Amino acid sequence: MRPILAVALALALTALLIVAAGKNPFLAYAALGHGAFGSWDRIGAGLNKATPYVLTGLGVALCFRARVINIGGEGQIALGGLAATWTALTFPQAPPVVLPVLALAAGALAGAGWAAVAAAIRLHRGVHEVLVTLLLNFVGVLIVSEALQGSLGEPGAGFPQSPLLPRSSWLPRVLSGSDLHAGILLALVLVVVAHALLWRMPFGFRLRVLGASAPAAVYAGISPARVLFRVMVLAGALAGLAGAVEVLGVHYRLIDGFSHGFGFNAVAIALLGALNPLTVLPAGLFFGFLETGALAMQRAVGVPTPLVAVIQGLTMIFILSAMGLSGRRSKV
Amino acid sequence: MDATADLLAAALRIATPLLFAALGGILSERAGVFAVGLEGMMLTGAFAAVIGTHALGHAGLGLLASVGGGALLAAVVAVATVRCGADQMVTGLGVNILALGLTSFLLRGLFGRGEAPTIRVTPLSSVSVPVLGDLPGVGPLLFQQPALTYVGLVLVVLMFVVLQRTGAGLTLRAVGENPAAVFASGADPIRVRFLAVIGAGALAGVGGAVLSLQQVGTFTDGMTNGRGYLALAAIIVGRWSPGGALVGCLLFGAADALQLRIQGLRLPFSSYVIQMLPYIVSLAVLGGLGRGARLPAAIGIPFLRKP
Repeated sequence: MRPILAVALALALTALLIVAAGKNPFLAYAALGHGAFGSWDRIGAGLNKATPYVLTGLGVALCFRARVINIGGEGQIALGGLAATWTALTFPQAPPVVLPVLALAAGALAGAGWAAVAAAIRLHRGVHEVLVTLLLNFVGVLIVSEALQGSLGEPGAGFPQSPLLPRSSWLPRVLSGSDLHAGILLALVLVVVAHALLWRMPFGFRLRVLGASAPAAVYAGISPARVLFRVMVLAGALAGLAGAVEVLGVHYRLIDGFSHGFGFNAVAIALLGALNPLTVLPAGLFFGFLETGALAMQRAVGVPTPLVAVIQGLTMIFILSAMGLSGRRSKV
Repeated sequence: MDATADLLAAALRIATPLLFAALGGILSERAGVFAVGLEGMMLTGAFAAVIGTHALGHAGLGLLASVGGGALLAAVVAVATVRCGADQMVTGLGVNILALGLTSFLLRGLFGRGEAPTIRVTPLSSVSVPVLGDLPGVGPLLFQQPALTYVGLVLVVLMFVVLQRTGAGLTLRAVGENPAAVFASGADPIRVRFLAVIGAGALAGVGGAVLSLQQVGTFTDGMTNGRGYLALAAIIVGRWSPGGALVGCLLFGAADALQLRIQGLRLPFSSYVIQMLPYIVSLAVLGGLGRGARLPAAIGIPFLRKP
């Protein structure tokens, strides 16, 4: 209920902005809806947009459940994309089905590795994980820039990007008449897996106990350090996978800055999804369709697309405030 | 000599917007509120400065608008985190997204009929320090800076004096360490934090104005481009002291200036490696050299009176 209220409040406030810009908010939102759902092609585009959001948001939700504030999605996505690109370019002769699987696995591994670095600094040096993951984001994104400047870059391209990946590494399309790729199926499966993990398995139980009360967790024989390390690595793997999916399914190459804004949006989505895997899915879809719909809105009624970020930011602030108020202390 | 002075001047120029934001961040964090929203506050300030100057016809009024813009966004942070007890870090991320969207939207919606217009304003002019500005070599480079650069340097001293030598500064620091004790002594920690966060927004707003009004002369989408986060890192490197933050900002400024200058040289790595340095140094300060780098004890923990 709370997330829906937050979204409604955000939409109402942004409607005022649209009025201030001299446009009709009802027409604008109608154009947004039509742009998001008007055809199979648009629906496919929205689902593609939502896929990395859902994957990364799942990891953030699991971390936040344990009160591990991992905001390192951005860097983990970037390095996941990098590893997938490297794999696809290094083993072009691998059989068609094997190559994308290999590249996806490499992406997940790279994301997990980068998260493990953050978790290790957190545990061995006692630096708050927010600061570690925030700072490592910038380093991760710069590593991608560095790689594109060097061995992975496409010579002669005017923009820092890798060469086109071999066709055999591309994720297959799953909906005729649209660009929808198989990444969404992966996301759906992982939503169910994350749900089972959180609510049906011992690890999920340990996560929730730690999140509810660290002293209680210790008393119950749960090692907070071990849980923190594992959940961060898990979230890193999901984010890395998101980066790989974005590269193998949408761009077919590594592009400098492709991960921009994904990591922070994933935090907003995890909150909007009430830190629950099954509801992270609609939250991610909402963000995805909002973004594809906004492009159509700008074309049709001239309301600029940055409005989407306003809606996203406001939603996030409202939910956080409500969480703070209802808990009388911060839950996240 | 000339090259060194040139590098120092560039470092100081790059450091100035960071410095204002970092000083604001210190105010907020010493009072116990993480300043992750600096990026958005700077961006709002940069936007308000250009729009204010354009609309009101005077750079001084634009500067005032940047103070208001930054403070307004900070008020959102203050209400959410201090009043409602929302998570400070994630709220910071939220207002950063909000500020990026809002400034880009307003630029197009109010001034460009859907397109992003370029609003040019005349950058603030440089002021020469008497005597020092006439020194051969270093004089023109180091002592003929725009006015806000000097203001920033004076603020470092002022901030130190206020925090360490005045009653108000003591109260602010106490709120960051033990708000319950401050409450018991009769002061209101919520009020102190509220004011500190809004002060942080005002200062970060000026930092944005330095960027848009003093250095670039226009506003572009997301023009702060991570400088707010860099200011956050400078606070860490400077261990939450104004003088330390100045050193941190100058260090990052020098690294950035150096990176622009070695692009012509043939090195085994590109300039991106140098761009990583501020973040790695911050991590090292937080981790390896962690003994002196202690965060205010009550930072991140909401203080809420029992109803």
